[in-house]
Amino acid sequence: MRRQAGSWLSGFYLLLMYGFIYLPVTVLVLFSFQGGRFPILPFNGPSLKWYRQVLADSKLTDAMFNSLLVAVCSSFLAVILGFLAAFALARFSLPARALQRALLTAPLTVSYLIIGLGLLIMFNMLGVGRSLWTVGVGHVVINAPLCFAIIYSQMGAHQVNVERAARDLGASLVTTVWLVTLPMMMPSVMASFFLSMTFSWDEFIIAFLLSRFDVTLPVEIWSLLRSGLNPKTNAAGSLVFLVSVIFIVLMELLVFRRIKRG
Amino acid sequence: MRDKLSREHEVRAWRFVLPALLWTLIFFVMPFGFMVVMSLWDRIDNVIVRTWNLNQYREFLLKPYYWQALVNSLQLTVTVTLVSLVLAYPLAWIIAMRVPERWQRLALLLAIIPFWTSYVVRSYAWLLILARNGLLNKALLATGLVDLPLEIAATRYATVTGFVHFFVMLLTLTIYANLKQLSPNHVRAAADLGAGPVRCFLHITLPLTLPGIMVGAFLTFVLCIGDYITPQILGGGNELVLPQVIMMQISRRADFPSAAALSIVLMLVVSLVYLLCARWLRLERAR
Amino acid sequence: MKTSAFISTLLCTVTGLSLSSAVYAVDEINALVWCDHTDPEFIEPFEKANNVKVNLKEFEGTGAALSIIEQSQPGDWDVLVVDGVDVPRLVKAGILGQMPAEALPLDDFFPELLMEDKHVHDGKLYAVTELFGYNTIAFDRTRVDPQDMTDMTVLWSDKYKGRIALYDWYLPMIGLVSMGLGKETASLSVDDLPEIRDTLFKLKENTAQVTDVVASQTVLATGEVDILFGGGEWLTAVLSEEMPDLDWVLPEQGGLRWSQSVGVFADAGNPEMALKFVQYIVSPAGQAALATSSCYWAMPANRQTAELLTAQQKSALRWDEQVEYLSRAQLYPEPGGELDEAMQDLWNEMLQQ
Repeated sequence: MRRQAGSWLSGFYLLLMYGFIYLPVTVLVLFSFQGGRFPILPFNGPSLKWYRQVLADSKLTDAMFNSLLVAVCSSFLAVILGFLAAFALARFSLPARALQRALLTAPLTVSYLIIGLGLLIMFNMLGVGRSLWTVGVGHVVINAPLCFAIIYSQMGAHQVNVERAARDLGASLVTTVWLVTLPMMMPSVMASFFLSMTFSWDEFIIAFLLSRFDVTLPVEIWSLLRSGLNPKTNAAGSLVFLVSVIFIVLMELLVFRRIKRG
Repeated sequence: MRDKLSREHEVRAWRFVLPALLWTLIFFVMPFGFMVVMSLWDRIDNVIVRTWNLNQYREFLLKPYYWQALVNSLQLTVTVTLVSLVLAYPLAWIIAMRVPERWQRLALLLAIIPFWTSYVVRSYAWLLILARNGLLNKALLATGLVDLPLEIAATRYATVTGFVHFFVMLLTLTIYANLKQLSPNHVRAAADLGAGPVRCFLHITLPLTLPGIMVGAFLTFVLCIGDYITPQILGGGNELVLPQVIMMQISRRADFPSAAALSIVLMLVVSLVYLLCARWLRLERAR
Repeated sequence: MKTSAFISTLLCTVTGLSLSSAVYAVDEINALVWCDHTDPEFIEPFEKANNVKVNLKEFEGTGAALSIIEQSQPGDWDVLVVDGVDVPRLVKAGILGQMPAEALPLDDFFPELLMEDKHVHDGKLYAVTELFGYNTIAFDRTRVDPQDMTDMTVLWSDKYKGRIALYDWYLPMIGLVSMGLGKETASLSVDDLPEIRDTLFKLKENTAQVTDVVASQTVLATGEVDILFGGGEWLTAVLSEEMPDLDWVLPEQGGLRWSQSVGVFADAGNPEMALKFVQYIVSPAGQAALATSSCYWAMPANRQTAELLTAQQKSALRWDEQVEYLSRAQLYPEPGGELDEAMQDLWNEMLQQ
């Protein structure tokens, strides 16, 4: 009896929380089809005109491309840096390991705003112009520690024996890392890569502070919000959502299934 | 277990860790140094004056609206962290304990999917819901639950709602991961010894999931106290939090010394909280 | 690996797309502007006609513009849009360069908007007005008594408590409040601040939100508030077709006239194209596009623009009442260093109330 009441309550709570979690995105998609200009009821539509406008807006599509470029490149670099450092710190007893670990993970405890502002001040004082490059640098700063932490935490002792076997068979250190360690660590390497991409894709404040004419999608959406009242924002947001969901499903099918099998 | 390191080995090991260390030093530590330097300069008549002084910090102490921004930030962040925890814990518990094993991954995935919209847009969508003529008020008025529209948009409640929405998801994930690592034997043993479900939870499950809670809470704290977008979009300019004041110094007055000083204050606050939580935040390797 | 193949295909497709759009731009100019200039309907005709790419960077407030300029290399910027009252500061700092007056249709301008005391130094022209308008009271005619709106002081009485939003920019707002207190914006001093402060704080008690340009339009259009203090044609005109009930008025105390000027940088990297851009901005075609941009509408300084605007557009901008309005408006306060600092502090303090 009590068990049943409990599961009723659980079910109700699940429903409530998922309702809460899905509320904004539902509203967003709904209003993206609003025919009129104002995002208020009554609903008139459905209309696809805002989607047409978004797709015709070259600034938005450029920004989407910039975001993708920054996300892929910065995550790639972040994973390489994180992986190499994790390998070195997990396998060798270097001096001051605790300090190195602390230094490498320190950016995780600092707000993005401060990281962005620090880089902005430094680049200004050194006369480095702002561009997608500087945004990418900022994203590597926030994502490399994350990749390091994830990969490091998964570098268990059981891989050591395989690595040692490879070394005993005459493989060089670099070959061992490339052919033995990396494939073994692939699940966490991929996980940290995609997590980095997610963070970079949706990161606003660093991209806002460090970009100039070429901006990333969140920055473009922000300036869209600030440059005229129009529901294009809703359509743009819904499109980003659609693209992301397709991306996750593809990843799930193409990557994570394979990792699990392998 | 570990390789005995020859000199040559150590040199090679350095080669692996050096890129990341250098990157962190150049693009994380050095900018921080530049920021400290900047905070010790002054800005007079729109020109940065490179003389050493503590004016920016003095202003922080003297001007009440700076102080108020810090107080607002702390109040907001603590509220958000607590509310998110209280909402997320049961959710994580239900997913981990009550949802059948093979559906759990799907349940988590479903919880994450809505966060793949741009977060700028997500905050804005809350505005559509919470506004005076927004969906929530329309629904409440239509069902007769209220007679007058609730004033939620442009208040702290709106900001809290926007934040909690995101952090419930984040905390659910960290707490879920922690709950799954629990051995059911602990709870079973306690139950065998005659502890009721409530006592089992309070004395076994809760303390054992404390690390997960603390990691999640700290993440929430760091991300929340440093966020600019959510309070800017949902707060309606009725009160300012520290990141808003910092951004205002940059975008309106281009007062980098003052923005730098305020950022350092923000960083000190976060560091303090880090030290308080440090014992739960150690990075551990899989065994 | 399949993933990398997938990603590289994706990259190639997207790169192909963005390259094709970037191929035909040869010349470039960089402009520091306000949001109305980012409207494609304004910028694209110029880009097409001159085969040029105009890179635009938006900013808020002259202080921010100065810092962007300070951090740039000479030649980085070509065109600057700025508050009319701030032009002398920029000329003194050597930022703006001279423009040939004969190349610009100044005879067609509203005489008040030539603003020679701001734009001309030692007989040389450094900037021209592009648009102007008013910071005053905007409201929804169906929800408030329009008669009440002719007296600014009603806003700090209790009558419309909780139904007001304030435009979030300290200079015009402090200017407006001081006009409500019977002061001249041109002669404000530190001694006036205590009285302004009390009024501002009382105003804040009646205020539901403090909003930027687009948020101001949104809250008034969606019925979030009924009155927008600091609003004017820049707020209601852009919505005039969908929301004919939105109105604005110059109260008996008058309103504040704002104006945006445009000039060419003294060290512009591409001065010829920059001048061409300025010429386009003050030409009737450019003026009409800018005056009815998607960000906000405003009165064009060039009177010839009238022929290119529809009757509806002109009435939303109050074209025919300009003579009277111009005579009753004051300009933005022009505080020097310390007073400016004090005003910004006052505004921030008000936000925290």
